Amino acid sequence: MSFIRRHESQYARSLIEASLDPLVTINTKGKITDMNEALANITGMTREQLTGTDFFDYFTEPQKAREVYQKVFANGSDSDSPLTLRHKEGKLTDVLFNGSVYKDNQGNVLGVVIVARDVTDQKRIATELNEAKNAAESATKVAESAKKKAEDAAKIAEDATKTAEEATKTAEDATKTAEDATKIAEDATKTAEDATRIAEEAVKSKQQFLSNMSHEIRTPMNAIIGFTKVLLKTDLSAKQKEYLTAIKMSGDALIVLINDILDLAKVDAGKMSFEQTPFKMALSLSAMLHLFETKILEKNLKLVREYDKTIPQVLVGDPVRLHQIILNLVSNAVKFTTNGKITVSVKLKSEDEEKVTIEFSVTDTGIGIPENRLGTIFENFQQATSGTSRLYGGTGLGLAIVKQLVEAQNGTIHVDSKVGEGSTFSFTLDFQKTNAEAASDLVIVDTDVEIKNIKVLVAEDIALNQLLMKTILDDFGFERDIADNGKIAIEKLQTTVYDIVLMDLQMPEMNGFEATSYIRNTLNSNIPIIALTADVTTVDLAKCRAVGMNDYIAKPVDERVLYNKIISLVKKTVPTNDNKDSIKTHGERIKCTDMDYLARRTKSNPTLMMEMISLYLEQTPQLISAMKQGLHDKDWNCLYLAVHKMIPSFAIMGISTDFENIAKKVQEFATTQKQSEEIPELVMQLEHICEQACEELEEEYNAIKNTNL
Amino acid sequence: MINKNKIKIFLVDDDALYLKLLEIEFLEHADFDIETFSTGELCLENLSHEPDVVILDYVLDGLDKNAMNGIETLDKIKAYNNDIPVIMLSSQDKIDVAVSCMHHKAFDYVVKSETAFIRLRKAINSIYSYKKLEKQLNWYMERM
Repeated sequence: MSFIRRHESQYARSLIEASLDPLVTINTKGKITDMNEALANITGMTREQLTGTDFFDYFTEPQKAREVYQKVFANGSDSDSPLTLRHKEGKLTDVLFNGSVYKDNQGNVLGVVIVARDVTDQKRIATELNEAKNAAESATKVAESAKKKAEDAAKIAEDATKTAEEATKTAEDATKTAEDATKIAEDATKTAEDATRIAEEAVKSKQQFLSNMSHEIRTPMNAIIGFTKVLLKTDLSAKQKEYLTAIKMSGDALIVLINDILDLAKVDAGKMSFEQTPFKMALSLSAMLHLFETKILEKNLKLVREYDKTIPQVLVGDPVRLHQIILNLVSNAVKFTTNGKITVSVKLKSEDEEKVTIEFSVTDTGIGIPENRLGTIFENFQQATSGTSRLYGGTGLGLAIVKQLVEAQNGTIHVDSKVGEGSTFSFTLDFQKTNAEAASDLVIVDTDVEIKNIKVLVAEDIALNQLLMKTILDDFGFERDIADNGKIAIEKLQTTVYDIVLMDLQMPEMNGFEATSYIRNTLNSNIPIIALTADVTTVDLAKCRAVGMNDYIAKPVDERVLYNKIISLVKKTVPTNDNKDSIKTHGERIKCTDMDYLARRTKSNPTLMMEMISLYLEQTPQLISAMKQGLHDKDWNCLYLAVHKMIPSFAIMGISTDFENIAKKVQEFATTQKQSEEIPELVMQLEHICEQACEELEEEYNAIKNTNL
Repeated sequence: MINKNKIKIFLVDDDALYLKLLEIEFLEHADFDIETFSTGELCLENLSHEPDVVILDYVLDGLDKNAMNGIETLDKIKAYNNDIPVIMLSSQDKIDVAVSCMHHKAFDYVVKSETAFIRLRKAINSIYSYKKLEKQLNWYMERM
C-alpha cells in the first residue's frame, strides 16, 4: 500500500514536474512549500532557495500577488489573474495565475496550489495580435482617414473644382462685371460728356440763334427806321406825321430790345469785353444826359446833376458801357416818374495812388418798388409788378443788363426804394488813374460850317441800307459811291479819290476789318474810315481801332451824328493829307463818270454800251456849244433847251446829281431870265464836267472795245 | 406785215442818247417792233408804217431852232389819224406842260426819269385795255 501510495505519489510528481507551467504550493502564511522544475527555471532559483521563501517576492508586483493568493484562500480558487514573474537576472515572464486551496481529510485548509501559466508566448502573440490588430486598426484607421482624407480631398478637390469653377465663373463674371462696369463707366462718362457737349452746344446754339436772329431782325429794322426818318423830313400831313412818328418810336423800342437781348446773350457767354480807354468822365456823362433833356422836358420833370469836382478829369475805363448802365437807369427813372425830379449824382468814394472808386446814383421820385420785389428786379424779364409792364411797357431786361455790366467790371449795385416815394439805384465802379490825354471823341462840330464836295464811299452789302445811305448822303449834299463789299471798295479806292469811307463790318467776300487793314497796310492810305456797326455792344470796338478805323457809328444811323463825324474827320484829315490834295488838283484824275447805271440797263452788253457811249460823245459837244452859244447870245431859250437835253445824260453816265442840280439852276435862271453873275460860272462847271465825261467815256469806249474784240 | 402780232412803237426824241436807252429797254423787256426818229418831221413821214403807239418827246427843237416841236408833231399825228395814241415824254415836270399835252389829245404824259420806262409800259397797257373796251363797245353798239 505504501508503495502504491508511493508509486502513485511518484507518478503524480512526474506529471507535476513535466508541466511547463510553474506549479507551486504555498502554506497559509504564503511561504513556498513545494514547486516544480518550471518555477525554478523561470525564477532562476534552485528548489532549496525557493522553499520556505515568500511566494510574492518573485513577482514584479508582490502586493498584487499576495492579494491574489489571499483571494484564493478566501474564495477557494481564482483563475487567470495576470502577474509577472521575475527571473533573478531580471527576465520577466508573464503568467496567468490560477490557484485553488487544498485541504486535508478533515477539510482543513493546508495551503494553495498555484499554477502560473507562462503566457509569455501567448502574451507575445496576443501582444503581436494586438499589435497586428492595432496595426490593422491603425491601418484601417489610417486607410479610413486616408480614405476620408481622400474623400475630403476629393470633396475639397470637388469643392475646389467647384470653387475654382465658381471662382472662374465669378472671375469671369467679375471680369465681365468689371468690363461692364468699365463700359458702363465709359458709357456714363461718354453720356456725361455727350450731355455736357450737347448742353454746351445747346447754349452755344441758343446764343448763336439769338445773335443771328437779332442780327437778322436788326437789319430790316434799321432800314425801316432809317426810311421812316427820311419820310419824316418830307412834306406830310399832320396825320401822316403822327403815324410815322408812331412807326419810328416802335422801331426804336424794338431795336433797343434786340440790342438788350444780344447784350445778355453776350454776357451769358462771357464774351462781353470791356475797353480800357482814357476818357473825360464829366464831359462824357453830360453828353449822354443831354439825350434825355427833351424826354425829361416833355414829362415836365427836373433833371438834377451832382458831380463831384474832385474826381480826376481823365480816367481809364469803358465809357460806352458806363453810358449803357446810366442810360438804362435814367431811362427807367424817366419812365416810372410822372412828376418831380431825377437826380444823377457822381461821387468820389475813395482814391489811392492807382485808382479811384466812384459811386454813381440815379434817384427818382417815381412809383417806387415794393420791398418784396427788391430782390428780384435785377433778374431777367422782371419788373416790380406784373402790372408794371402793361402800364409802362418795357421787357424788364434793362436792370438785368445793368447788373451784369456792373458786376462784370467788379462793381456793386444797390437799390433803395419806397413805394410811392421813389427809388435810388446806386453802383460803384473802379477806374484807373492816368496821365494820358482822353481821346477827343464827342467833339461837337459846328454844323453851320459847310464843307462842300465831300465824296463818300459807302461799303455796304444790303441793298436797303445802300439806298438809305444814298438818301441820307444825298440829303447832306455829299457825293457818294456804293461798294457791295470790301473788295469792291478797295477797287474803287484805287481808281477814285474819296474823302471818307463808311465801312459796314459784316460784308460778304471781304468784311470791313479786312478791307480796312488792306487800305491801311497795302494801299498805305490814311483816308478816314468810319465803321458802320449793327450795334456798339456786340462789336469789338478795340478791334475796329486796331485795324485802323477812325471812328464808328451804330445803326440805325443818326443823321446828325453821322454828319458831325464825317465833317470832323474830313476837316481833320484834309490839311494833313497833302498827298490827297495834290491829287485833287489834278482834276482829270478823279473820275466823274460811272458805268454802273449803263451796265445795268444794257445788262453789260458791250455793243449796246459802246453804242450809248458813242451817242453821248456825238451829241454832247453839240449841246455844250449850244449852251455856250445861248449864254453868249443871251438866247435864254436856247440855253434852256441845251441844258435841258443835257440833264438825262448825267444820270445815264453816272455823273453826280450835283451837276444835274447845277443844270436845273441854269434852267431856272434861263426861264426867269433874271440877270445873274452866277450863270457863267455854272455854265462853265457844266462845260467842264461834260468835257471831262467825254474824255473818260472815250477811254471807256476803247477799253470796252479792246476787251471785247 | 410780217410782225403783225407785235406792237409797233415809234420813239421820237432828238436826244439820241435817251432815244437809244429807251429803245434798248423796250427791246429788252418785251417783244416790240420799234422805230426811232430823231425829229418830228421824220416821224410824220413814216406814219404810213402804221404805228400802234407813238412816244413823243416834248422838246424836239432843242438844237435845231427850225425843227418842229413836240406839240406841233402831236397835232400833225392826230390830224393824220386820230386813233393813233401818243404818249408825251419830257424831262419837264411842269403841270402846264402836261395839261397842254393832254389838251392836244395826248394819251398820257410821262416825265423822263429812272422810272420812265415802267410808266411808259403801263401807259401802253392801258392803251390796249382801252382799245379792247372800245372794240367791245363797238361790237355791242352794232348789235343794238
